[in-house]
Amino acid sequence: MVSGPGRRSSPLTWRWRDRIVLAAAWAGGLGLCAIAAAIVIYMGFRGVQYLRPGLLFTRPAPGTVQSQSGGFLDPLLGTGLLTLIGILLAMPLAVGSAVWIAEYGRPGWLARLVESSIEIVAGTPDIVIAIFGLAIFQLSLLAPFSFTASGGGVYGKSFIAAGAMMSLIALPPLFTATRDGLQAVPVHMREAAFALGKTRIATIRRVLIPSVRSNIATGVTLGVSRIIGDTAIVLLLLGGTLHIEAQGSIPGLGLLRGTGSTLTSYVYDNSPAGEGAAEQKAYAAAFVLLVFVLGLNVIVDRIGRSQANSMGLAAAGGVV
Amino acid sequence: MLERLRHPWPDHRAERTLGAVSLLVCFVVLAMIVFVGARAWPTFSHEGLSWLGSGGDVQQQMGNMLGTGVHPPASSFYVRAWPIVYGTLLTTAMAVPLALTIALLASIFIVELAPAALRRLAIPVIRLLASVPSVIYGLIGVLVLVPFVGNNLITTSEKASVQNVVELTGAGLAVAVVILTVMITPIMIALICEALASVPRSWREGAVALGVNPVRAVMAVTLKAIRPAIVAATVLATARALGEAVMIQMVSGSRSFAPKPVDGWIFFFEPLRTLASAIIDNNEGLGAPALRSTVYAFAFLLLFSAFALSAAGYLVKLPLRRYHVQG
Amino acid sequence: MHRIRRLSLAFAVAGVLGVAAPAAASAITTITMSGATASFPLVSLLAQKYVKQHPHKVKFKIAQGGAQVGINDVAAGRVTIANVSRDPTTSDPSGLVFYPIAKYGLCVVTNKSNPVANLTSAQVVSIFTGKTRSWSQVPGATAAGPIDLISRTLGSGALSSFQTAMLGGKSVSSIAAQEASDGLEYQQVQNDPNGITFVTNYRADKGQANVVGFNGVGCNLANVVSGQYAGVARFYEVTKGPATGAASAFIGWAGKSAAARKIISTQWVPIK
Repeated sequence: MVSGPGRRSSPLTWRWRDRIVLAAAWAGGLGLCAIAAAIVIYMGFRGVQYLRPGLLFTRPAPGTVQSQSGGFLDPLLGTGLLTLIGILLAMPLAVGSAVWIAEYGRPGWLARLVESSIEIVAGTPDIVIAIFGLAIFQLSLLAPFSFTASGGGVYGKSFIAAGAMMSLIALPPLFTATRDGLQAVPVHMREAAFALGKTRIATIRRVLIPSVRSNIATGVTLGVSRIIGDTAIVLLLLGGTLHIEAQGSIPGLGLLRGTGSTLTSYVYDNSPAGEGAAEQKAYAAAFVLLVFVLGLNVIVDRIGRSQANSMGLAAAGGVV
Repeated sequence: MLERLRHPWPDHRAERTLGAVSLLVCFVVLAMIVFVGARAWPTFSHEGLSWLGSGGDVQQQMGNMLGTGVHPPASSFYVRAWPIVYGTLLTTAMAVPLALTIALLASIFIVELAPAALRRLAIPVIRLLASVPSVIYGLIGVLVLVPFVGNNLITTSEKASVQNVVELTGAGLAVAVVILTVMITPIMIALICEALASVPRSWREGAVALGVNPVRAVMAVTLKAIRPAIVAATVLATARALGEAVMIQMVSGSRSFAPKPVDGWIFFFEPLRTLASAIIDNNEGLGAPALRSTVYAFAFLLLFSAFALSAAGYLVKLPLRRYHVQG
Repeated sequence: MHRIRRLSLAFAVAGVLGVAAPAAASAITTITMSGATASFPLVSLLAQKYVKQHPHKVKFKIAQGGAQVGINDVAAGRVTIANVSRDPTTSDPSGLVFYPIAKYGLCVVTNKSNPVANLTSAQVVSIFTGKTRSWSQVPGATAAGPIDLISRTLGSGALSSFQTAMLGGKSVSSIAAQEASDGLEYQQVQNDPNGITFVTNYRADKGQANVVGFNGVGCNLANVVSGQYAGVARFYEVTKGPATGAASAFIGWAGKSAAARKIISTQWVPIK
């Protein structure tokens, strides 16, 4: 509100139109807070009602009907594994591109092309990225990344397939956060490094990247939040087996080529849209998912606040 | 060779390597267009663009594609997917303006009108709403909203009046639009709040100094100044709304039906399908070549619309460049 | 010198991995299946028992999708065996071999609040083809309002079998809601007081919906076994060409072994 000396006009003296807008603005703001509270409270209520700690550590019952027994350990592990793969694949791509755009960026048309490409990836629906993943990983060229049936058909669904597409989902937030952080580093830090005789790449490695660590952390947290919340890619590319099933017998590679499920696909499968007919399990898993997402939000908040406090630089932009 | 990797790199090699890494992203986009387009090509070559039109029951047409074998005849590619395209346009066209209005009002509230304590509360609330996974929205929709609508808002006589054409169960347009609005509003709020906060105070204070009340000042001055941000927010929200697949699939009734506005109130309860939810519904039948190319044609259409939206946003923002407040 | 040593070591490791991978993988055969949702409970149980009896020899990967999806997949070589819940038709790709493994019954069910005791074939045809649209026209029904038909998506084998065995070849009306599996049909009819659908006797026996008699005969396992109940169809395992290797062993075991017959007899009817 505009403050200061002089009389502030009271809303009772305004025109009707402005009073309506005032009321509507209050309604809109409070309404959204109410909806958010309703969602959290309802999911919390259901979660407390249906979540037992045992569920987190028990494997799902084999077979589709989940209402009798079994927990969701495998989906939990699947979420973790997928997030790990996604972030590991996204980090070099995102940080490398951000560094190139922020520090080099020549020729200009290429820089614009790269930024537009990342914008396009950010704007592509996750279902299209999922179906694209299916198109690629069902090529015989990429057959080692999943399972090949006896008749020669490539299955195309595995942890590595889903993880690769998840990295595309995590790429834009990570890229934006890193690039904004690098652009916010004052020029004098670079100039000081150059004055001491360091090359550009050495400056990047030794000075700039360490100083944008919290931006990268923010970006990674945002990326993780997007990955664990994504369902379409999991439904199409992870093979939908309740238990994590490795493919082949080499320990690490078999897991990557194997199929499984995540919390999101578990919630979907147990809801009335899927087979499981186990609403309680769906609520419990959804509650766990929501807790993770809330936790990640708190982490982003903390990183943002500590960065604003510590370095006195412009804090990382409000990247959503 | 590994020795060379360990020593500090000369700048030109680092630049080239990082440039190549950045170029990978462009290749990914190119690959998306090529691979999705290649798998969608049979539908386009057999049907041209007329598959977007209407004619017959699209659900029946797509169901028949399942049984056409490994080398389907040209006639099996026949599809008229207008009800699905119409469903997509309908949900988006209803959700985005609604969300924009609510987002503007809520942003004005957060930035201008809210007391400081409420403002500090609102920002995490908005971020929370933006990051709730769509499957949770879908779960609440299908377990709470759909039964509520089906049992309380639709009367038996309404169900009976359309019983020869479609079944009303509560899952349909209204629930889908409401949840979609709640999903895309936070995205818009984030962008608009940022832009509102960066409008110079002096502009607004000048208006107030001339005797305008604060709300009018915001509406007349600030909103006009953040038009690029509003455009950016709308583009982002539209892209999100078009591509939302899982939540819509859970609450919209999974019937490729084109809701008819002439039905009055019943229009809001009629089931529908969108392009994205149709892809999810058919994702197991992708072994049938005719169905596969149809589904990939849907995906290609969505991809194309994502491109078009980015381009449209850019073009709309161009004449607004003279305002230095960017979204 | 270092460089050559490092490179050759790298190649050696890659070579070992490359050779070991296929060698290790071929120790256990994987039988992939896809297809009918109606036979999924039975096939899962059979597969579990088979793996227990023949440990470390075979692994099963069972997907669903509907009988037609299974037929497409096996014809294209994407899976080893297709689970199919309907008889072969002329439009099926050539070269497929159908091995029957069990018989099952199709029951008409309504919501528990709508205890329709019995329907004649004429009534069933009239309801499911969409001629009768209101519960008030169905004797014995306590529900009011329009009939909510719940059916299957078009690739379903159970749907084809239902249309052949109980609708006299007529098709279910396109007004019906199309669910992707018979489990989903069963769920939907529990949530909808005006719902009516057809499910396998395995589902109907779960007792959470009202099972409707057909032409005076109740739909339960005993009547399906005795042959009194008319709505009966078969589950098939389908391969491209005659079954060979591990697939042939499994299908043979499912058809002849005592353990398999015991499993089938719990809820279904073994093929004599």
